[in-house]
This record gives sequence, C-alpha cells and structure tokens, in this order.
Amino acid sequence: MFPNPKSLKMPPLTCTKLALIAITGVIIQIIGLSLFVFGFFPVKPALPGISGSESYHLPVCDLVGNQSGTTLPSDQLRSLYQELSGMPPLFDRLILMVIDGLPAEFVLGKNGKPPSKQFKEAMPYTQSLLASGLAIGYHAKAAPPTVTMPRLKAMVSGAIGGFLDVAFNFNTQAMLDDNLLGQFFRIGWKMVMLGDETWLKLFPGLFKRHDGVSSFYVKDTVQVDQNVSRHLGDELSRDDWNLLILHYLGLDHVGHIGGRSSVLMVPKLKEMDDMVKLIHSSTTLSQGNDQGRMLLMIVSDHGMTENGNHGGSSYEETDSLALFIGLRNHVLDYASVIQQIDIAPTLALLFGVPIPKNNVGVLIKEAFDSLKEEQHLRALELNSWQLLGLLQAQLSGLPCRNFPCDAFSDHQIAGTSECYHRTEDMLCCLYMEAAALYSSWKSKRGTESASNKDYSSTAAAYYKFLKSASEWLSRRSTDKPVKLLAVGLATMFISCVILSSLMFCRVREIYLGRRQQSLNDSMNGWSLDDTFILGVILILVTSMGSSSMVEEEHYIWYFVTSTFYLLLLRKTAQSFSSVGVKSGEGYFGMCFTFLLLISGRILRGWHQGGVNWTSLPDISKCLEQAGSHYVKLLQLVSAFLVISIGVFALFSIQFKQKYFQMVRLSFLTSGLLVLLHITRYQDYTFSSTNYGATLLAQIVYAILGAATIGTVVALPWFFPFPTFNSCPTDNTLSPPSFFHGIQEKFPFVELRDSLYVIGWAYILCWCLLQLLLQQPINSTPILLLLVQILASMLYFASNGTHHKEWIEIAALYYLGMAGHFALGNSNTLATIDVAGAFIGLSSHSTLLSGILMFIITYASPMFILLSLVMYISMKNMAHLVIPEKADAGDLLMMMIGFPCLVPLVVNSILLTAYTVVLLLMRNHLFVWSVFSPKYLYVCATTLCTYIGVFIVAATGTYTHLVLAMRRRKQVPITNNTR
Amino acid sequence: MKKEKSSQSTISSSQVFLTHVCCGLVLAVGFWVAHNVYSINLVSDPSNTLCWIWASELPVVILLFSCFRQKQEKCSYLKAIAQGLLGLPAGALLNALGALALGAPIGLQYLEKTLNWSLLMSLFTFVPAASVYGSSWKDWHRIFACTKPNGSLDFMLCLPAHGAVIGAWFGAWPMPLDWERPWQDWPICVSYGAVAGYVVGMVGSFGVSLMRGGQKQLKAE
Repeated sequence: MFPNPKSLKMPPLTCTKLALIAITGVIIQIIGLSLFVFGFFPVKPALPGISGSESYHLPVCDLVGNQSGTTLPSDQLRSLYQELSGMPPLFDRLILMVIDGLPAEFVLGKNGKPPSKQFKEAMPYTQSLLASGLAIGYHAKAAPPTVTMPRLKAMVSGAIGGFLDVAFNFNTQAMLDDNLLGQFFRIGWKMVMLGDETWLKLFPGLFKRHDGVSSFYVKDTVQVDQNVSRHLGDELSRDDWNLLILHYLGLDHVGHIGGRSSVLMVPKLKEMDDMVKLIHSSTTLSQGNDQGRMLLMIVSDHGMTENGNHGGSSYEETDSLALFIGLRNHVLDYASVIQQIDIAPTLALLFGVPIPKNNVGVLIKEAFDSLKEEQHLRALELNSWQLLGLLQAQLSGLPCRNFPCDAFSDHQIAGTSECYHRTEDMLCCLYMEAAALYSSWKSKRGTESASNKDYSSTAAAYYKFLKSASEWLSRRSTDKPVKLLAVGLATMFISCVILSSLMFCRVREIYLGRRQQSLNDSMNGWSLDDTFILGVILILVTSMGSSSMVEEEHYIWYFVTSTFYLLLLRKTAQSFSSVGVKSGEGYFGMCFTFLLLISGRILRGWHQGGVNWTSLPDISKCLEQAGSHYVKLLQLVSAFLVISIGVFALFSIQFKQKYFQMVRLSFLTSGLLVLLHITRYQDYTFSSTNYGATLLAQIVYAILGAATIGTVVALPWFFPFPTFNSCPTDNTLSPPSFFHGIQEKFPFVELRDSLYVIGWAYILCWCLLQLLLQQPINSTPILLLLVQILASMLYFASNGTHHKEWIEIAALYYLGMAGHFALGNSNTLATIDVAGAFIGLSSHSTLLSGILMFIITYASPMFILLSLVMYISMKNMAHLVIPEKADAGDLLMMMIGFPCLVPLVVNSILLTAYTVVLLLMRNHLFVWSVFSPKYLYVCATTLCTYIGVFIVAATGTYTHLVLAMRRRKQVPITNNTR
Repeated sequence: MKKEKSSQSTISSSQVFLTHVCCGLVLAVGFWVAHNVYSINLVSDPSNTLCWIWASELPVVILLFSCFRQKQEKCSYLKAIAQGLLGLPAGALLNALGALALGAPIGLQYLEKTLNWSLLMSLFTFVPAASVYGSSWKDWHRIFACTKPNGSLDFMLCLPAHGAVIGAWFGAWPMPLDWERPWQDWPICVSYGAVAGYVVGMVGSFGVSLMRGGQKQLKAE
C-alpha cells in the first residue's frame, strides 16, 4: 500500500495522456481479440474444387485433377457417371421435406421407447409407414451449432462447418463449396424449392421455380406453412422436376413461441402428417407412370429444447430426424443413430452423382441393402476413396500416400504391428485392409460363387475405415493455429496490463492526494468492500474453468451482488452510532439497501436461467401459466411505472424554458406511444406482423432517437448558467435535500446539472426502447433494474464519502451483469430473443435486426453503462482533491476517469482470463457447446463495454467542452459588468 | 465502565474452553443421536435433523451463555435466559431474510427447512449474544456491525458467529454445480458449511483467549 519514493516522482497523469493510453489499450485489445477469434474459430479447411468423374477413380498421388468431365453437357455427364460408378442410380426423383426444428423424438421416440401418445396420435400416417416398414427412420445427430443454415449446409455437403457459421446464419451467403444440389444441377436436374428462403440464398439461381418464405417472422406459425403447401398439389402433378425441396418452418416457430409442449404443437404435427400423406399417396399413384422412381425423404435440421430454443448441443437440440420413404425395406424395431452429415454421401450415391468433395459422412447402411453385393461394395469403395482424398489433403505425410498407386499389384497388408502407433497409420491400415479384402472378394467372385462371409467381412472392414476416418476428420476440422492464438492472447494480456496499471495509477494518485490532505480515514483504509469487489473478479476467473459454472454463471452474479448489498447493509448499520443518534442518512441508506436486496431477489427469481435447473419453477413460468392477461397487466403496470418515474424526474427539473418543455414532451409522447404499442399490438397473437405495429414502432424509434440525440447535442448550448447571486441549492436539479452541499465545493455546477439531465435522457430512452422490444414478461425486470440503478445511485450519492469511486462503479458493473441474466439470458446461444429483433422492421435487414438483437440481449449491461452518465452527475466530488492549479482537463479526468476506466479494466481482465480458459479447454468435451458460446458472449460484452464507455466519455467530454467555451465567453462579460 | 471491564476479565480461557467444548459436544452428540437413534441425517431428512439439532443445542447454549450475562446486578439469570429465548426467533428471522436475499428458494415445500436452518443459525449467531448482552445496542454494534471485539467474551461471541455465517456463505457454492449429489440441495451443504465455520470459530476463539491470557500473565509479571 505504501508507494515507494521512486514512484512518487512520477509525473501525474494528465487528461490527454490518460485518454491516449486508454485508447491505445483498447485498440491493442481489439487487435488481440480479433487475432484470437480468427485463430480459434477457423473458417473450415475445405478442399477446393468440385467432385467430378475423377472421383470414380483412385485418388491419384499427383493431384492433377482430370477436370474434363465437368465440361460435358449434363445428360452425357449423367451417363458418364453411371458408367464409371458401375451402379445404376436407384432413384430418379427426390422430394426433400425439411421440417424445421422437429426433434426425432416426436416421431421415433427415445431410447427405444415409442414417442409419447399425443405425438404418436398426431402423426398416424407417418407412424403407419414406419410400422409397415415402408419408411425407415433415424436419429440423425446434428453437430452444434444447431441453427438452420449450418445444418442445411451440412446436409447437402456432408462437411462439418466451423463454429462461426452461426455468426453468418443471419447473413446467409451463397454456398460455393461442393454440394449435392450443385452436383444435381450439373447432371441436368430441374429443382423446385418451396419454403425457407435460406435455400435461395445458399443456392441462388439453381431452382427452376421457387417460393421462399422468411424464417425471421417467428410469431407467424400458420402462413409460413400455407405458403409452402399451397403449391404442393400443383407441383406433385407436374413431372418437370427431379428435386422438390419443401422447407416447413412452422414447427420451429411453434417451438419458439410455446416450447415443445405448446398447444399448437399437436395440430402442427398433424398438418405435417397430412402433407406426408398427400405426397406419399400421390407418389405411389404415379409410381406406375414412367416418371421414374421417387424417394421421399423427411429430415429436420435440428431439434429443440423443452422451451423450444435451439443452438446448443444438448441431446434435445441435436436429435434431428432423417426418414427415408420409398426404400424397400424390412421393419426396424429400433431406430438407430446416424450423423446428419451421413445424408449427403447416401443421397449422392443413391442418385448417381459424385460425393461432394469435403464430405465427412459415411453411407447409411440400410439405404443400400436392396443393392447387389457388388454395387454395395462399390459404393463403399467410392465413399472410402473420397474420404481418403480428404485425408491426404489434410495429412501431407500420410504414410499410405503412395499406396493407392500400386494397391492392386500388391496384396500384402502392411504388418499390423505398425498399424496402431499413430492415428494416421491406423487409418491407413484400416483402408488397406478393406481394399485388400475387396480385391480378394472380386477375384474370388470370378472363380467361385461369392461367399456371403467374404462380402460381409469386406463391408465391415470398409465401414470400420469409414467410421474412424469420419470421426478423425470431424475432430480435425477444429485444429488451431497455435502461433496466432499465442500472439492474440499475448496482445490481449498486454492491453489488460496497460489498462489495469492505468487504473492503478489513478487510484494511487487520488489515494496519495488524500493522504497528504489527511481527509477522513474511512476512505483510506482497505475496507471489506474493496476486498470483496476484488475477490469477485478472482471468483469469476476461477469459476470460468468449470463447464457447469459457465452454464450456471448467473448464480455467481446473483450471489455476489446480493452479498455486496448485505455488506452495504452492514456498513450502513455501522453508521448507526452507539446511542440513539441515528442520522437521516443512515435511514435512507438502509431503505435503499433493502430496496436493492428485495428487487435483486425478485429479479433472481424471475427467470430460472442456465442449463441444468431450467425446469424449476420461476416467476415468469408461473405468470405464463396463470394466463396471458396477467402478463399483460403486469407489463402495463411496469411500463406505466417506468414512464412515470422518468417523467416525474424530467418534470421535477425546475427549468421552464421552451427547450426543456420540448424534451419533456417528446419523452412523454414516446412513452405514451410505447404504452399504446403494448396495449394494442404486443399481444403474441399468432398472426404475422402487422403494418400498424411496425409503423408505430418506427415512430417510437424516430421520436426516441431524435429526443435523445437532441438532448445530448443541444442541451449544453441551452443550459442556463446559475446566476452567482442565487443560492446554489435553489436551482440545482438532482439532489433531494439530504445530500445538499455537494455543489458548493465543486466547480462547474452546470456541467453536473446538464449531465444529470442527459443521464436521465439516456436512461429513459433505453428503458422505453426495452419496453418496446423485450418480451412482455421482461417488462417488470426492466422496472426492477431501473429501481435498482436509482437506488444504488442514491445510496452512493447519499453516502458519498464512505466508498471509493471505483468500488461503486465496479459494483454497478456487477449489477448490470446480474441483470443480464435476470432478463433470461444465459451462456447458450439458444436464449437470444430472435422474435424481438424484428419489431418495427418492415423489410428484412440483417444489420438492423442484428442491432436490435444486440440491444435486447445486452439491455442490462448497457443500461448500467448509460446510467454512469447520471452517476457522474450525482457523485459527491467534494472530497476529491482539486489542486489549485487544476485545469479543465484535470477536472474532466476527475469526473469521467473512473466511470470509463473501471468497466474497461474489469472487462479486459475477464476477457483475458476467459481467453486463457478457452485455450486450456480447447480439447474439452464441451468446448463447442459450452465454452465457445460463452466466448462469443464475452466478445459481445466487450463490444458492449466499448460502446457504453465511448458514449460516457464522449458525452462527458462534449458537454464539458461546450460549457467551458460558453463560460469563457461569459466571463469577460461578467467582468465588464463588474 | 470499570465494572464492565472487570466482569469481562473474569472470563478465563478455561471457561471459554469449557463453554465451547460443551457446545461442540452437544452438536456432535446431536448429529450422532440423529444418525444412530433416529436414523436420520441431513441428507435424508434435513428439516427433522436440523430441528433435532437446534432443539438439543438450545438449552445448552442459553444456559451456558446466560452465566456470562453483563451487569449481573441488574440482570438476573432468568432474565438472561428469557433474553436468549427472545433472541432465538429474532435471530432466526434475520438469518432467514439474509438467506432469502442471497437466493434461498422460496416456497411452501422449503418453509420447514428454511425455518429449522435459520433457528440453528440463530443459535450459532444471535442467541449467545442475546443472552450475554440483552438488548444493548452499543455492544451489538461493536460485535456485529463493526467486528471490533474487545476481550475474550466478545471474541467468544463474535468468532463462532462470524465463522458460522461465513461458513454458510461458502457452503452455498457447490449448490449450482451439476454433480447431482443429494447434498447439494438447500439447506444441506449450507448447514454443513455453517457447522464447520462455527467449529472453526470456536477453535479460533479459544486460541484468542489463550493468547490473551498469556499476554495478561506477561503483563502481570
């Protein structure tokens, strides 16, 4: 604690210096973070090019691709493929019916048990197909992230996408990698797509006809599916297409609105079943015609959790469906588990096109049961060659690299002792074993009647190779460039050190100043609160290493914040001095702390977040069960209270000029408009978004934006200077009487007062925006958050000298994080509220809806950061040492130094620590399901902190500069008059 | 003032030792009897076990600590006992509120558990101080708000109480983890933590009284 004499000589930080160093730190941090992110979440390593006729030959050692086939016209190419593969395609036409978000459990049951009765009865036709063996169903395990676009890509290309594909989910781009649809297009297939327009964005120009619907209006569960089905009868009667894609979104939307057990679920399943019946009966009718053999495939892209969300990697979310109707087959009494990517090679070989180049999947065994033995083995061989090619590309030193060139001249298998040293060797051995068995089977077949045993052992050997290669390749796709990661981490660490030492310098400067002036002792001691606030960071950092603590992070924040309030309570109790002398301050402090504790406890109980205990009852579930009108009533009451608190605050400002009236009026108007929006539109009626609602929301955006920006920009120019004669307490705005006396000592009363008004403008704007955007159930938490913020502001302002400023700001930051989870957020991507992100948007815009989604998700941390503007204005600065020669910059630094530095420092420590954790956990089982989503959240929190701190700093500086300029102009005048 | 000091200095380290050993023994016996006679324990039946433990601990704590009552000329032994008995529900209420604020589950099915837990916590924290100091705000303020104990008696009240609270606070940490152990439920691990903290506090208080005794002897020499 005692600074050494050397450091005493260090020149004090000036404002510009501080700002420059802080900005440098932030920029370094951004660079480090982006290096790390691009290193850790690699864009998946993909082989260039497209599979052509060369895929029917051994992957040759010198990778001179024979691309001649691709230039052929489509019908010639088709016959070329057929000739080369030696197996005629089993089917000519395919209907791919994608039911978005349908868990396989609904159709196939779980763990060998049949599905629940209501679901079974909801899909009588599908169940009868399954029972009679006309359909085979699989649990197709989807890889996380379980979001539509990456899943569609996986199904058509067989490749496992990188994690960052989620980020691009909202910005769908054309798929350039080799995929099934491209292959079909090349052999001249005509394709029709009805449903989710993601397909159109992925494959622009491939479809002969299409009718896309947007997947983003989540509230609509009826129209999306009608838009698909209305063309169905027409399309089924035509014979000008080979591939018909139907993508039904309604079921996913039902899930998003009401969860798995929604009342709409059974009717939706029934609707899907009717569609299956319609399609299947029409295809069986037309089977006699020469339209070709038809395969109907029903798949879902992902499952859903109990609440109907998806994105993570729980069993419920990854359990997607793959149902083949049209394969002649026996009844399977137990639905087996495949990988979702296995669909791609299976379909490719069933329809006689080359397997997509980056496919990692393995043929589905039962699909080829009806083939002849030789054709089945040939299919396996093709799949093996394709995977071998991928292996060779990934492993330059693959020991059997040269093997395929002379495979058939050389029958001996490499000594099995060498086989199991390394994975690469093992894969190579497995392949050679299978290839040798295959060639011996072929040679035997020529001479004697092929024995069934040889065939099955060959097939088994091939499957063994395919499975292990597939597994190895999917693991391999998560390989990291170590150097990039190390540089990124080091850079982040440096910036963390810069920021922390900057803050340490500030703390020490103020501390030293106080020591010299020997102000009150309570400020200088190292109190319990300080230790606790620092301890919290330690607790957080250590807890991040455990996956269950990451999943249940909200418990830490709640526990820590309420412990801090209890410590505050204890501190307030200390101020109740020994005998009967109880100050008003103490009582107010007591009230505020109780208010904080109670609202904190309600917030905690509002959403049962996390992963493991989500099914426990909480307030939001109770309310939703009680009925939507209760939710509505509560929403109205909270909205009304929020608006009245804000309006009361604005109207209690004593200035009567036109300018202030305008500010008041515009906020009041937007408040009323928000109320109107709530009463009239925000109803979760399952109708598509409505024009009036959109328009109203847009008007609210416009008024709020104009009012806030207008206040911030114009207020410093219009703000009246206090006249020197009048008593300062008369025309100051903020302080209720119990903490007067702040203003006398501090210069620039008008700076504080204008920041107070701006702070209220920010808070009101943010609250109204949240009331408009958040789910109805979240309105009360918004009110409680506002109450908490106000209570802690008033507490800190009334007990101004009892706490260090940085402690208070850190406590506020923690409050914001606790509130983040109280609004129902968690560390899985599934809790992001997609439905709210389209309020007030008349057309789909990725950028705008992304911004709205960010506003909704980071409501609470941003709220806290914005309220720091008001905190600055209310904080008692009287105790701060203001040197005689203090210039304007020093004062500014005094005011906004900590509010900007503390969030940056806390965040940078957490960011750096979590980066280390992620690096250590890169081989953990849960790295993609738990740690990576959390890292995305950490990155977004960092962004939120940057934006918030920037707003605080910019507002403070701007107001200060304008007022200083006006003051400078004014001073000569006053001097003259004197 | 002098009288107070003299009454405090009458607490010798052997008295502290005896009091703590008695409390600790009763606690241990309580657990033992619950387990072997009633064949219940905290995990299988938390509320009954807690109830049994606080009921057996209550007379011992009140009777023992009432011996150390302050201002003995004004306050009879019976009055001290009454103060202790009054302190029990008051302390239980405060402890329960604290636990609820920190996130203890609310609901009818938890009511009994929370009640018994808070009564036990009250015995660890409030009842001894209530028996000794009655309603003297000055002493309460010194011991609990400021944590500036003065003399062996203060330490004897302060350290186990703080130990129990801090122990309970740490005991809550394993609750959200997904180990799926039965003891992760409210209030089992919190009670374990509180008991452990209480025992540590008692050992600490005995240590302090020994040290202070030694210092006094040195001064006397």
